[in-house]
Amino acid sequence: MVQLNALAGGLFILTVFGIVGMRQMIGSLRLFVIQSLLLAGSACILGYEYTSVHLFVVAGITIFSKAFLIPWLLYHLLSHEIHARREITQVLTIPTSLLIAAGLVICSYFMVRPLLETGATAFLSVNLPIGVAGLLIGGYAITVRREALPQLLGILTMENGAFLAGVCIAPNLPLMAELAAAFDVLIIALVVGLLTRSIRKRVGTTLVGKMASLKEEE
Amino acid sequence: MTQKIVFNIMQVLVVMAFAPLIKGVLDRLKELVQSKKGPSIFQPYRDIWKLFHKDEAVSEESSWVFRFTPYMVFVAPIFVTLLIPVLTDYPLFFAFMGDMLAGGSILALGGFFATLAAIDTGNPYGPMGASRTRMVGFLAEPVFMIVFFTVSFVAGSTIPYIVQQAWITPIANFFEPSHVLVMLAFLMLIIAENGRIPVDNPSGHFELAMIDESKGLEYSGRGAALMKWGGCMKFFVLLCIFLNVLVCPWGLASTGSFRDLLLAIPLILLKMLILVFILVIIESSLSKLRLFRISEFMGAAFVTSVVAVVIQLIEM
Amino acid sequence: MELFIILLIPVLVTLICMIPVKMRGVSAWATIIGSLAVFILSSAVAFRPDLASHGSTAALGSLLSCDSLSGLILLLVSFVGFTASLFSLGYMGKTNGEHRPGRTRRYYARYNLFLFSMLAVPVLAQVAIVWIAVELTTLFSVFLVGFENTPEALEAAWKYVVLTCMGAAVALVGVLILYWGLRASGGENFTWPGLLQAAPKIQPVFLKTAFLFILIGFGTKAGLVPLHTWLPDAHSQAPSPVCALLSGVETTTALYVIIRLLPLLRGIPGNPASSWLITFGLLSAGAAAFLLIQVKDYKRLFAFSTIEHMGIILVAAGLGSGAAHLGAVSQILTHAVTKSFCFFAAGSALLVTGTRDISSVRGLIRISPVAGISLMLGGLAIAGAPPFAVFLSEFSIIKAGLAAGHYLVIGGLTLFIAIAFCGIMYHINRMVFGRASAPSVRSALPLSCKVTLALAIVPIVVLGVFVPHPVHTLLQLAAVSIGR
Repeated sequence: MVQLNALAGGLFILTVFGIVGMRQMIGSLRLFVIQSLLLAGSACILGYEYTSVHLFVVAGITIFSKAFLIPWLLYHLLSHEIHARREITQVLTIPTSLLIAAGLVICSYFMVRPLLETGATAFLSVNLPIGVAGLLIGGYAITVRREALPQLLGILTMENGAFLAGVCIAPNLPLMAELAAAFDVLIIALVVGLLTRSIRKRVGTTLVGKMASLKEEE
Repeated sequence: MTQKIVFNIMQVLVVMAFAPLIKGVLDRLKELVQSKKGPSIFQPYRDIWKLFHKDEAVSEESSWVFRFTPYMVFVAPIFVTLLIPVLTDYPLFFAFMGDMLAGGSILALGGFFATLAAIDTGNPYGPMGASRTRMVGFLAEPVFMIVFFTVSFVAGSTIPYIVQQAWITPIANFFEPSHVLVMLAFLMLIIAENGRIPVDNPSGHFELAMIDESKGLEYSGRGAALMKWGGCMKFFVLLCIFLNVLVCPWGLASTGSFRDLLLAIPLILLKMLILVFILVIIESSLSKLRLFRISEFMGAAFVTSVVAVVIQLIEM
Repeated sequence: MELFIILLIPVLVTLICMIPVKMRGVSAWATIIGSLAVFILSSAVAFRPDLASHGSTAALGSLLSCDSLSGLILLLVSFVGFTASLFSLGYMGKTNGEHRPGRTRRYYARYNLFLFSMLAVPVLAQVAIVWIAVELTTLFSVFLVGFENTPEALEAAWKYVVLTCMGAAVALVGVLILYWGLRASGGENFTWPGLLQAAPKIQPVFLKTAFLFILIGFGTKAGLVPLHTWLPDAHSQAPSPVCALLSGVETTTALYVIIRLLPLLRGIPGNPASSWLITFGLLSAGAAAFLLIQVKDYKRLFAFSTIEHMGIILVAAGLGSGAAHLGAVSQILTHAVTKSFCFFAAGSALLVTGTRDISSVRGLIRISPVAGISLMLGGLAIAGAPPFAVFLSEFSIIKAGLAAGHYLVIGGLTLFIAIAFCGIMYHINRMVFGRASAPSVRSALPLSCKVTLALAIVPIVVLGVFVPHPVHTLLQLAAVSIGR
């Protein structure tokens, strides 16, 4: 069981790397689906270990909202962008980004070390660092991508990382909170998707990195 | 004692005998997946037989390197076979002669000579392919190193037999994240080192785009046969290391009886068949990468192996 | 019970706004009446006489609760919500005209949802749901920020949503670590009072890590440097009444969550929370003061001033003494009322001149006396000149800091306030005085805008001279709940 959870964690971090290093938008979206499924898998394993029913419910909500609803929503709202602009422009080259992401994984391990020293189960020592690493790498992905959809995927990766840490840290968080948090992610996707549509209608492109007109210099 | 030497020699004979078969199966399967009929699985044997009976034409401008290389390329995998577990899971006579790093450098020696020979003849396509092979090679080296470090770190030794015992005998260890990531990284490495899609197209005849095939371009007759056979054996050896050390060490002979050894041969061929099937699926679903995207591919392999080693170190 | 009604009213008004009614102005007046009702109810809650003795009121089965600090924030949110809705009547009427009633209705619907989310933050009892409420304040205001639908407005909305969602994800991890610490020490209640009770037993590493994560995460939302880059854009591109809400109270609600954590870390030796707060506060105040000088757009001027005041509040909260905490809560109060007034003045100036550019506006006082005077007064007030409210609260912070002995910190703070003062007055002076850049009044200010300006300046002037007794009690109780 511990190894299965560790496997889910290892593959999770691999998908996070993939989201940073993937060139195609539709590929990143598919990786996000796999990532959410892995998150649900980890929640199931933890639910079985701690015999807590509502972790199973959390897993179910994750699969429903993040693996089905959000990709479907994004695919339909932004199908024009996904098919018109296949490749993602980046600020740094992909190998450099991958190296920085690997560095961030190491950083996150050092960051959570004081927390783990207070008494860590085997599950905690896998989920917590990988969750925080997902957080950091998602944030990095946002800064380094210039397109709308990849930035949104960065935000969603950060939330996934936070949830992965959360299912292990707080297995007994009241169900309402988990439900609302999942709902919240859905609203994020909806809001950002609609905003991207407006941007494309008004500005003509979703290359949001080029929108930098609000500065003091001009 | 003599039994161990005999088994060792049997290992070498098995590798020499069945390497072209694996190559033939791979080619046939690829064609079958693409709904074509494909050549017979014994075709590489016939090709090697035919080439041995042909005359050699050697360029006058070439030096001793050109003539020496086919033997080098043929012999290098054989030396590596002495070191790795092919049929047995206990160390044989020559097992402690060198560890995995030594095996890696012997294979690299073969590649080194092949590269030199490609430049030796003065054919313009040779150096082009050789430089690309070296690029893929040096990008693959860090991945090799880190994969070896990871597996040796767990086992406490770099001898493949000992690594195999320690790494995977508790079945639960199979699902360790560092193990899965190391498997993935090594698979990407096999694809890169043997010139399969997505790194290189092995069935292409277009010299401008060749990476790995270019090393055998200038040879004819016996030289060509040896290069071909040596290439098949290198593929077989890498697959052996992958399967027997990392992925699936069960089915190897654990006792000293001759019958067990003979039983191990079809088992290893079966394991190889499954892996070849996976490789064929990968080959048929991806397209060849553009040249400078290969560094991204190897970068992804490198990062996978680094994450594996980090997870292994931190979770100890 | 009032708490539940307070939350229910904006939701009802949203539903009303979504109904397409033929009568013009229904949604506007519904919003005004709704926000007035919310304000009256919030004052009733905040100024309850038994708040002092009971400490907090609870409703809806411990889902909602309100103690003095929450009461203060609730009061401020409802006040600014009311004045901004009044201002919107004239502003939206002017900018939208009667031709697009659907657009106006959408504005008011989003306005009420935004108000609802901001009202929810102080009154929710469970900390995890507070996180969700803060996240909702962002999500409900994104389309308000991008309401003008120009490329710049959409860019501002994009940066706003991406950066604040990043911060919210980081803060989520912080909240979860806090919960972990609570459970590890055996506590049960994940509410603010429950945390306070369990705080001495929670291991310091949990509290420190959670505090740092939440500081960085919600600090992005409050506009702390270096994560403030979205703030000038979002707070200048939104329509002016929305800017008043954003600058005046939304950043304050994010700061509220951070300040609530402060008493939890009281027991840790070395008091790391204070040093982090003071560092971030000084950094924000300083960076904002310097960036203020070179703005080209007067709404960005006020936005940078918001960043500066958030920094001042953090420094005051971090200073640690009871008087400093009193200064912090009074700064929260005065900043909210003053900044909203400033944005009303800026909105009036925008209506009159039609441009946001500082260099194109000259002699505003001749173009439109109302707009000119209010801009002048607003600039003076927010920069911290007497006899306005901000001067009193900043003065009390400086006095408390000097009494506690933090000379260096207070010296830096005073310097930054002085630099910001000069910057703001330089720009406002250029705009208000001088030869008129436009020959005549371009468009007269709507009546409701003038009424709002008159209404909004009252607290600024009154609080600058004398603090009424109920307000003073409320402030003292709020300060106590920080410093407990």
